[in-house]
Amino acid sequence: MIKLFFIAALFLAGKVSAHEMTPTYPPLVPSYVDGLVSAKMTMFNSRKDVDYFEIGVFDDEWNPVPFAATAKILRVPHGSSKTFEVFVRHKDKKRATFICSLSKLRTDSSARAIVSSKICSRTDGALP
Amino acid sequence: MVKYTLILTALCIPFTGNAEEALIEGNVQSKCIINTDINGVYGNPAPDKLSTKSVDGGVEPTIRFDVAIANYYLARVTTPSSFSTSPSLSDVVNWTGTTTVGEVSDAGMSAYDAAKVTYDTTSEFDLTIAGSTWFKVDSVATYGFGRAFPGGTYRAIVQAECIAQ
Repeated sequence: MIKLFFIAALFLAGKVSAHEMTPTYPPLVPSYVDGLVSAKMTMFNSRKDVDYFEIGVFDDEWNPVPFAATAKILRVPHGSSKTFEVFVRHKDKKRATFICSLSKLRTDSSARAIVSSKICSRTDGALP
Repeated sequence: MVKYTLILTALCIPFTGNAEEALIEGNVQSKCIINTDINGVYGNPAPDKLSTKSVDGGVEPTIRFDVAIANYYLARVTTPSSFSTSPSLSDVVNWTGTTTVGEVSDAGMSAYDAAKVTYDTTSEFDLTIAGSTWFKVDSVATYGFGRAFPGGTYRAIVQAECIAQ
């Protein structure tokens, strides 16, 4: 049974498409710009059906927190990873809790994706 | 004499060589990976019904969550409550949806179903065991009161979230 499971997993591996963002608990550290703190994130995309990801910063009640990044919609082509920096005002440092990436799906009818993936890291270092 | 000296010297060299250590380092860090193993397909078993259930001719979307370390992430799966693509609809669409645990890489993960928290169209699972969990999503849409869905392409989005806790 276990062998069958692994064989099935090997066949599925070619079709699998994944979205990954690390680290889980990025620290917000002082940046080279006065009054801003920043966190460095890395995203990996192996979803063939997705090329773009939206970055967002939220507080613990999921209200948006103002932030700056290279781009709010990042292009991460299939099979590649991208490191990006998120800047938050120092006065928002305590409020900013989550840094999230959300896959953006195409609206044209040729796109078959119906699963939107979202991964959120915590900046407040709240280890379980 | 010279030959013997050379041979003896050569034999001694391996014993006088310094041992070197090769260091292997590794780092296990917490991370969550969302895999869309199977994109779903709506079946149309009746004129007023679209369903991803296999008994209705559909394909259930299957989403795999991989976590490297236990207790670091929550998995949230939200079933659709509207179409992202559809022909013009003049009547109300009623939505139902469920998310259940399918395959698991650790037997203990089977308990996720009993411990899940459901609100609105969202199911929340505490990923308390490291490994992979496959979630199956059922989505059923019915149109009006027994009205037939107009012809066209219908798409709806399942949202899978992995939230650090």
